[in-house]
Amino acid sequence: MDRETIRVVSPLPLTEEQRDIIREKLSRVVKTGLFSIEEEVDPSLIGGIVVFFRDMIIDCSVKTQLQRMKEAILRD
Amino acid sequence: MIRVDRSIVLQVVNFVALVFLLFRFLFKPVVKALDRRSQLIKGELQKIAEEKETLEKMKQSLLEEKKNLKEEYVRTIDQARLEAAKIKEEIVREAFEEGEKIRKEYEKRAKKEVEKLFSTMKEEMVNVAEEVIKKFLQSQITPEIQTQIIANMFEEAMKQLEAVMEVGHGQRND
Repeated sequence: MDRETIRVVSPLPLTEEQRDIIREKLSRVVKTGLFSIEEEVDPSLIGGIVVFFRDMIIDCSVKTQLQRMKEAILRD
Repeated sequence: MIRVDRSIVLQVVNFVALVFLLFRFLFKPVVKALDRRSQLIKGELQKIAEEKETLEKMKQSLLEEKKNLKEEYVRTIDQARLEAAKIKEEIVREAFEEGEKIRKEYEKRAKKEVEKLFSTMKEEMVNVAEEVIKKFLQSQITPEIQTQIIANMFEEAMKQLEAVMEVGHGQRND
């Protein structure tokens, strides 16, 4: 079985606690439990994380939330 | 006693002959000439009377024509005035309509410009607010808050992902 590499982008380097939370949650969708996290720092995200999992992008960043709010305000 | 001699008889005969000759050769032609002259004058007078009548008729006709022309002139002037009033009214109406059209067009444009301006202002305000919020959040987000965000937002995303994966798995099993 190949080990999956999951890229995680965060505005600050991940702490051990954050890494554990991410691992714990990812293990619910990666049933084999064989995966490694590739970390990347992007301060423009402000807060939260962006996870590149398989062919999906799980965007939980504050930057994107703000962007959505902005779009909603401008749409009205 | 009256003596009738030959000379008296000759004088009488001579006189009678003279009267006869005068009557025969002078009186009749003169009377005829006078008659002709009288007839001619009568004819001339008749002609003059006829011409006078004709002239009178012509005068009446001309007077009638003048009257008709005057009436026609008055009618034409009235008609022209009416037409002018109508044209004036039409011009005023068209000008008013054109003015209204231009006014509406400008109102529409002004409204669009105001909307555009508001939209631009709104966008600029939102951009400024976004920048301010970003800066504020960047200064406020500590590792603890970041942990909280990850725990909450990533949990939500994972729940959704699990639901999607379960649906996909169920469909494959079916």
